[in-house]
Amino acid sequence: MAKAVNTLAALSQQLRTGSVSSRELTEDSLSRIARLNPALNAVITSCEDRALAAAAQADKALASGDVSPLLGIPMLHKDIFCTRDVRTTCASKMLAEFIPPYSATVVNRLETAGMISLGKCNMDEFAMGSSNETSFFGAARNPWDTARVPGGSSGGSAAAVAAGFATLATGTDTGGSIRQPAALCGITGLKPSYGRVSRYGMIAFASSMDQAGPMARTAEDCALVLSAMAGSDALDSTCSDQPVPNYAETLEQSISGLRIGVPKEFFSHHLDAAVADAIGRAIKELEQAGAIIVDVSLPSTDLGVSTYYVIAPAEASANLSRYDGVRYGYRCENPADLEDLYTRSRSEGFGPEVKRRILVGTFTLSAASYDQYFMKAQQVRRVIANEYDTVLDNVDVIAGPSAPNTAFVLNDQSKSITDMYMEDVFTIGANLAGLPAISVPAGLVNGLPVGMQLIGRRFDEARLLNVAHQYQKRTDWHTLSPDLGGLV
Amino acid sequence: MTHAAAVKEVAVLARLSISDEDIETATTEFNQTLALFDALSSVDTTQVTPMVNPLDAVQRLRIDSVETLVDREGLMRNAPAQDQHYFLVPRVLD
Repeated sequence: MAKAVNTLAALSQQLRTGSVSSRELTEDSLSRIARLNPALNAVITSCEDRALAAAAQADKALASGDVSPLLGIPMLHKDIFCTRDVRTTCASKMLAEFIPPYSATVVNRLETAGMISLGKCNMDEFAMGSSNETSFFGAARNPWDTARVPGGSSGGSAAAVAAGFATLATGTDTGGSIRQPAALCGITGLKPSYGRVSRYGMIAFASSMDQAGPMARTAEDCALVLSAMAGSDALDSTCSDQPVPNYAETLEQSISGLRIGVPKEFFSHHLDAAVADAIGRAIKELEQAGAIIVDVSLPSTDLGVSTYYVIAPAEASANLSRYDGVRYGYRCENPADLEDLYTRSRSEGFGPEVKRRILVGTFTLSAASYDQYFMKAQQVRRVIANEYDTVLDNVDVIAGPSAPNTAFVLNDQSKSITDMYMEDVFTIGANLAGLPAISVPAGLVNGLPVGMQLIGRRFDEARLLNVAHQYQKRTDWHTLSPDLGGLV
Repeated sequence: MTHAAAVKEVAVLARLSISDEDIETATTEFNQTLALFDALSSVDTTQVTPMVNPLDAVQRLRIDSVETLVDREGLMRNAPAQDQHYFLVPRVLD
């Protein structure tokens, strides 16, 4: 274990004072990826030439006095974001050769802000998984222990930041896919409110919950990046037109007197005892910073998993119906007829977990099951969202664990499919209710990172980032890095 | 409890094939997932409006004007089979 050397904010400062160039940072990142990725499998596609060309441009802009905070900083994208002329696979055989003719709004905005894209990160196939094990390209590994999972679905992004490939990677979060891997890899990951960030060009999984966000070392870095990522987009009609504040400006506000709710259901039998202790200490730290800790209740927490696993697969079965072997994506060899083309292309192109979820989603949307499952789940979704809203009427922020445990071992045969779904038990609520939530490093248990989750009111990312930043000023968990000496 | 034949029927609707070898496992997993949903029936949802969108937002419309969003060549580059900008599929008419 070592102290992390750099944050995005520190690199930004160094670039602007000229003590380092974007080319040097980019070369350093690329060489680190080349050296460590064979052991970590966090990156599916590297873009050396494009990155170096972009770095040269950034250095010119810096030399001409451009002081944009993200200019010249190398980063990685989850391979769910379309990148023009760069392969975008969603970690699926279905899209293994897909070259998008356009970029996602998130990609465009960060490029416009001057960031250097180094490549595309591994993930669970179509973002369906909590361990990165469903990737067609093999699981990414946790840099803290390569026999363990990095979490998922944004596991490659989390592992890449933890291993120092870059100070930032983008992620997406439908049921916890930014926060759980951030927790398991010891980094900071923010899922913004639904509609805060455009979904244009982000390959769809469950459209009423999918949301993109930053994964970085610190809350301060997330604040800098979210300011550039967020905001209305004519290309995504579900993206909110609420104004985007400068999130960095409110980081230093005192949290004295702030009311922080701790739901008793987040400390249930699902939660590992040592993780519970670490989260308890983190909450105590917030109290010592002046926050008022309030016991609250979210009685339907466990129901969130059932609700989510009806709604997300249903939306996925509709979204993934577009993969038919006709316009793009995998096509089977020698189809006998059109039906055979559809069925074999999909059966050969999708992996087991994606097929499982399409099956369940197709079933719950069928006429005979619709009311019993899909309609019912949408009603329970409102019950859950109302519980969050009631609690957040009385407190400013909710605090608890991000994940029920630390990183588990790869290929854990004792974990059933539904055991794996329980990984999301504490994160799913924020997706169902459309609330912003962040995971911050909050300790180590047996040498493995633990994440504390903070959940806020809709579009109040500024408050979450403020609380997370104040916590990180008082603690040093976010500065710890895994020892990677044995991997080279 | 959903039986193997019913799971196969759902697979046909989803345009997925499940081999005879895999159907037993697929049915077990399908039922495990469905069992997870049983808890929903314990919630009284009379008078509860289903939540379709977390912001309860309605579809925003734009002015109906012609715009070019992406290039045709770029899109067609990804087609598994094409001819003169048409996607090719197996013959559907005799």
